[in-house]
Amino acid sequence: MTDFIKQFSSQAIKALEHVPETEIAKALSILQACFERGGRIYAFGNGGSYGLASHWVSDFNKTVFSHHLDKHDDRFQAIRVPSTTEELTAWANDVGYDMVFAGPLKNLLQDKDVVIAISSSGNSANVIKALELAKKRNVPIIGLSGFDGGKLNQMADAKILVKTEKGQYELVEGVHDVILHMIIKYFKNYFDYQIERNAKA
Amino acid sequence: MIIVRAPMRMSFVGGGTDLHAFYSKYPGRVVSTAIDKFVYMVLNRTPLVPKYSARYSISETVDKISDLKNSRIRAALEDLEVPIGIEIASFAPLPSRTGLGSSSSFSVALLKALSLYQGKQMNKREVAEAASRLEIDLLNEPIGKQDQYAAAFGGFNLIQFNPDGTVTVEPILLDYKKHADFEDHLMLFYTGITRDAASVLTEQKANSGKKFEVLKKMSDSALTFRDTLLKGNFEELGSMLHEGWQLKKTLASNVSNGVIDSLYGGGMKAGAWGGKILGAGGGGCIMFLAPINQKAKIRAAMKQAAGKGKLSGFKEIPVKFVQSGVEVMFNHD
Repeated sequence: MTDFIKQFSSQAIKALEHVPETEIAKALSILQACFERGGRIYAFGNGGSYGLASHWVSDFNKTVFSHHLDKHDDRFQAIRVPSTTEELTAWANDVGYDMVFAGPLKNLLQDKDVVIAISSSGNSANVIKALELAKKRNVPIIGLSGFDGGKLNQMADAKILVKTEKGQYELVEGVHDVILHMIIKYFKNYFDYQIERNAKA
Repeated sequence: MIIVRAPMRMSFVGGGTDLHAFYSKYPGRVVSTAIDKFVYMVLNRTPLVPKYSARYSISETVDKISDLKNSRIRAALEDLEVPIGIEIASFAPLPSRTGLGSSSSFSVALLKALSLYQGKQMNKREVAEAASRLEIDLLNEPIGKQDQYAAAFGGFNLIQFNPDGTVTVEPILLDYKKHADFEDHLMLFYTGITRDAASVLTEQKANSGKKFEVLKKMSDSALTFRDTLLKGNFEELGSMLHEGWQLKKTLASNVSNGVIDSLYGGGMKAGAWGGKILGAGGGGCIMFLAPINQKAKIRAAMKQAAGKGKLSGFKEIPVKFVQSGVEVMFNHD
């Protein structure tokens, strides 16, 4: 049994060692610019990736300013799309499953915003539909994909591809989770540092 | 109403290599960053007021585009054949001709706003190209393309101007600590001397054949500047700025003058690692990189030199770097 554990762990380590640093840095810059202009972040994906989007959004909103919520004047909000199960089922039932993200986004998305799309295959039809909308509105795309990246990786401005063999969902989703937490940690540290720096000045 | 903003920029190395006369023979390169001083452009449709109205440092309301005094607004409206019934207003925290690229920020914000006004979408590169075309091709200004790209893209970039006319924008990805560190070592002073980039650049353009080797050196130094910036070695960056400024002074007779030299010399003597004049030269802003504990001394020295030079508009400008490029702040047409 330990052999299996060792083998999986070493695959995970290998995937982590090869995370695309420059693309993650680009994603951080895109989010930084979004913060500066007072935009919002919309995150989405299917199945486990939907879970990742929810987890990221809740962590981000709860913790990003948490140490000094009252000391920051600007706000930085993330929203999972769609934000309720009711919307999800309504779009799926009334219009079609390929519109569950693009439908609600049509109503929400403004020029100032950023989208984070999460898809292991990078080819989920509903994710691509939402990205076509983002592209049309010139909204920057942060794309987290796996395997060979699919269409998502081609369309994204920050191409966070966790390259694996096809079908390695566990590895891809696991590494995506680490990268998403890394993004939160970066902004948490950044906002803490701003307060420290202001205190010194 | 449509509200678009574009940042001004600070350019560190390679200014002048973005002129066609140079980059058609050898790749031009510039390292610059967007700063937290924005030109805001507001557009409003006025179907019930059949006029062209422009508000900037002055206010004008006319019946024909060709009657507008503002050359940028006039050329853009003519080129895009914008129908009558529009108000255009711009807002900026600093005067023009400070060397912070504000006139290109103006063009970039204007063209992005006009594209939305006409129901079109332009990405950053398209806006940068449209602004370059407006200023260089339509208005025949003897300027380069670095400011349009800096204003459209935002953040720190190494911008390369290729001989085939294409432009490569390579973001220099610095974390928040390096940004903050850089800001803490930086000082920016407005000399109060306004100058027209055109007068300096016209001479520089005429000289670019003779000064080819100097410009080549300046272009190559942008690569070293990028690498040193990524390492966060601000003392080294300071001396690179100093060398660059010495080179730049040789490009045209009016890049510097007595007052500028005494201001710059004063800052260096007071302990700055290095610095430069921003923009084409002849006036505008002076930037220094300096040890944090020498900043008070430099500030005092600069004030004294400015007093001697009778520079009534002299002022220190606090500055922060921003990641933002051209951005749509409001779009409810």
